[in-house]
Amino acid sequence: MEDLTPMVKITNIHKVYGKNLHVLRGIDLNVNKGETVVILGASGSGKSTLLRCINFLEEPTAGTVEVDNIVVTAGGTDKLRENRILDIRKRTGMCFQAFNLFPHMTALENIIEGPTTVLGQEKKHAVQYAKELLEWVGLTEKRDEYPSCLSGGQQQRVAIARSLAMKPTVMLFDEPTSALDPELVGEVVEVMERLAKEGMTIIAVTHELHFARDVADRVLIMDQGNWIEEGPPGKIFNNPEKERTRQFLAHIL
Amino acid sequence: MKVKTMQSEEISIPREALSVLEQIESRKTRYNRNLIIAFAVLAVLMATTLIVLGLDFKFMLKWLPFVLAGSGYTFLVAFLAISLACFLAIIGALGRLSKNPVVNSIATSYVSLIRGTPLLVQVYMWYLALPQIGKALEGYGFTGIQAVFTLPAVPAGILALGVCYGAYMTETVRAGIQSIKIGQTEAAKALGMTSTQTMKRIIFPQALRVIIPPVSNEFIAMIKDSSLVSLMGVWELSYRAIKVGRRHFQSLEMLILVALIYWVMCILLQFVQEKIEKHMARGDRRI
Repeated sequence: MEDLTPMVKITNIHKVYGKNLHVLRGIDLNVNKGETVVILGASGSGKSTLLRCINFLEEPTAGTVEVDNIVVTAGGTDKLRENRILDIRKRTGMCFQAFNLFPHMTALENIIEGPTTVLGQEKKHAVQYAKELLEWVGLTEKRDEYPSCLSGGQQQRVAIARSLAMKPTVMLFDEPTSALDPELVGEVVEVMERLAKEGMTIIAVTHELHFARDVADRVLIMDQGNWIEEGPPGKIFNNPEKERTRQFLAHIL
Repeated sequence: MKVKTMQSEEISIPREALSVLEQIESRKTRYNRNLIIAFAVLAVLMATTLIVLGLDFKFMLKWLPFVLAGSGYTFLVAFLAISLACFLAIIGALGRLSKNPVVNSIATSYVSLIRGTPLLVQVYMWYLALPQIGKALEGYGFTGIQAVFTLPAVPAGILALGVCYGAYMTETVRAGIQSIKIGQTEAAKALGMTSTQTMKRIIFPQALRVIIPPVSNEFIAMIKDSSLVSLMGVWELSYRAIKVGRRHFQSLEMLILVALIYWVMCILLQFVQEKIEKHMARGDRRI
């Protein structure tokens, strides 16, 4: 289904807070172009930290991150490295648990902010594409609303559109539905599902079981900063190998 | 008034509820009415006091244009000083938040020193002490610097007020910037924005909303503190009023007159502040 061009390649990532809080303990992860990967794990297991290490919102303490052939190694603060991090961020979209829309901008302004400010696109051009994205997430009529007038589900869909406006090659989802009322989860998952079907490379941290089971190509289980098991969702959910995986799934199923 | 339930059978709001709503409404009306009455009574009381004191209103009216002529200086000093203060406050706040040790220490010392000394001393420092510094520097071979360091009263006043308020406002701006949630920075960074872009496009516009009320407060305070330049013999509002009052032994009239002028000016500014705040509040949840 997906071709085997590597899109994200994470090698031996460690994250240590302070001196002895070892959150990530030598994580490897390869994600191919067009693949949808779901990371599961108990809270505090390090999955969000890993996701945030991919676009360097969190600085890994050791290891290498490669996104779309841009390689950045942990440590160092030189200008060249800074620029490579910016390049990685331009190519990765991220959706947050708390949406983090810009409250002083309308939905449309939120979406064109990246293209105009970061990519230097002409406003007219950016608005045109933003309208298409708003239609794609089903919020055409909300284009001039401020985030405070939108429901959580609508805000998250605008946030997805805002990320997509940068034409990213990878989308990172950090528990995108955890802050939503149960009846609003569906509309966000539906958008994510369509995104996956259209061939976007997706790495998602989510407890949304339908997405993990039916949309993901691969599910990885994390515990205490290490992978404990990975495989296609059918195998992980129906026939897990490890006892720890079984325990975890028993909790969330 | 009808409310539809899930079964879509119609249930009218009970009569008791309607009467409670009416009570709430009438309580509001009564409060508003009483508030207006209270203000009116206060105004009458104040006016009576002025009359009872036997103020010479003719005298006040006669000198009103003369005193008002000083409002130009008052506004000029206050306006230029607040502009300088805003500029310094933004630089200062960025300095206070900077991770560069040199920049950070300069900004921190600036705030500490200026906030820790009386404005009165600072005004004299700019006006009277600076020329002396110039003289000392000339001794080290900087010829002609004393002339530069000898400031006329108005520029000295603007510098003194601007630098002083800049220090207070630095803290206001810093707090405003820090009040914006970390998620906003993260969202901006995730889009690939540089720190400068993030500050300019995302953080500062939001911080401005938090900053506007305290800054307006500072501006109103500065309108009044601008009277300190009268110490250097600038013919602004209070200087004129005090001069006239002393000469004619009618200080009470002139002081009340000038106080009222300041008050009216501040009320006007408050009005402007409310307008700006309303404009900045777009994007807020409208209830």
